[in-house]
Amino acid sequence: MAKRSLAEQLDEVLQAMLVSLRPRPEEAPDRNLAALMRVAQELRELPREEFRATLKSDLQRRAIMSEGAAAPPARTGKAQAGAVHYQRPGLTSITPYIIVRPAAQFIEFLKTAFEGVERMRMPAPDSSIMHAEVAVGNGAIEVSDGNEQYPTAPAAVHLYVDDPDAAYARTLQAGATSFYAPTDDHPSGDRWGAVKDPFGNHWYIAKPRGWTPRPEGLRSVQPYLHLREAHKMIPFLEAAFGAEAMGVHKSSEGAVLHATIRIGNATLEIDEAHGEFQPMPCHLHVYVPDRDAVYAQALRAGATSIETPQDKPYGDRAAGVKDAWGNSWFIATHLGR
Amino acid sequence: MEAAQSDPAKFDALYELQFERVYAFVATRVRNRATAEQLTSEVFHRALANLPGYEWRGVPFAAWLLRIAANAIADQFKRAAREFPAPDDPPEPAADLDLQASEIRAIEHRAQLFRLVGQLPEVQKQVVYERFVEQRSIREIAQRLGKAPGAIKQLQLRAVQNLRAQMAGGHG
Repeated sequence: MAKRSLAEQLDEVLQAMLVSLRPRPEEAPDRNLAALMRVAQELRELPREEFRATLKSDLQRRAIMSEGAAAPPARTGKAQAGAVHYQRPGLTSITPYIIVRPAAQFIEFLKTAFEGVERMRMPAPDSSIMHAEVAVGNGAIEVSDGNEQYPTAPAAVHLYVDDPDAAYARTLQAGATSFYAPTDDHPSGDRWGAVKDPFGNHWYIAKPRGWTPRPEGLRSVQPYLHLREAHKMIPFLEAAFGAEAMGVHKSSEGAVLHATIRIGNATLEIDEAHGEFQPMPCHLHVYVPDRDAVYAQALRAGATSIETPQDKPYGDRAAGVKDAWGNSWFIATHLGR
Repeated sequence: MEAAQSDPAKFDALYELQFERVYAFVATRVRNRATAEQLTSEVFHRALANLPGYEWRGVPFAAWLLRIAANAIADQFKRAAREFPAPDDPPEPAADLDLQASEIRAIEHRAQLFRLVGQLPEVQKQVVYERFVEQRSIREIAQRLGKAPGAIKQLQLRAVQNLRAQMAGGHG
């Protein structure tokens, strides 16, 4: 047999290791090669450079914010697009951005009712809350007191929790009013209850049973939009965000009774407004790989511009549009610096 | 350490020292890259949030970070078990909060290797990331870097040999 170079031999065993699910490589034929393979084995776990850099810049920003100092300077738009993950760490593709007053009290509500964990708070000069982020389950809710450009807008949110009965009881203690207590008779098949909090938000508090859409794990937080002519929202989201309708249940008259729609790694739900569940135009924060393209697509699909794409001092490039139902969509790509 | 306590912006100096160690630890316990990144991120965010309380604990900073990491991993296993109960899968290793000396040595070894990758000649480093992190084929890497496949295999060999030599040197 012709003797192959060490480079060839290493690559051969390495290739076998890289495509194998086995935790250990096959025993290499000679001692020299075996030593190299031990190094190669560990290199499989090498962290991504982009992740290392993104996390560092995120921590720096967090540290600066917690000091109350000025935010780092904005960067120019085209820098390193694609070099970092497009979602800000801790957020998914869709996050409800709830603007209610006083936001500080609302944050307390999230902590008390849903065991929310405050991850970030940026005060405005008048000591109102410019922006805050509260982790709930494996998702998050962003919160602000808002301003003239972004006025108060409570939202409806479907929350998956471990114990809907206990969470429901805590919301009532924290001042919410009940639509109905958790029941097993909800059409979704989930155990499901509904309340309105003192700030006007609706919370559909549920525990999954049986099948649930889970693109990449079940999301604790899903915005829920009650719409007039809800069926028209689906083609809008498909055209604007490349969304995918994952389950559409319609009445015999064609009204959307319930639909789950996926954007990226998260979902939102819609239905035709009915009874006490009337439209509540709200704010949604959507992370996409290319905000400029999505912004243009959204306008073509019939949205109107609130804000053209701009680099933000907090390390995102973001734009804003309003859909035909009055919902505002913040379209962002995390730049990672 | 003192700098980080009095000035959170100095946290990044600690990050430079500790990133590889924390990641190496997390990656030995969870096999999935996305989860490893999520947990590593969580550890540093928790650490940043808790720096003012740190001085009360009489343990070195690295041990404190690994303790946070062990807790984060344990939380993750609980969450995963709740969200995706899969009785047919083998059980995840228990998150043992007490690290054995042998495990600490293995983590240090791996963290050191990760740091050394950063010091490789640029093109060798590139090949290592393309091959091991992005898991690209030799042919694909050759196209991306505009080189012959044989040259990529040579660079791969040199990189691994370099790392092996430096690791051996470091451990006497």
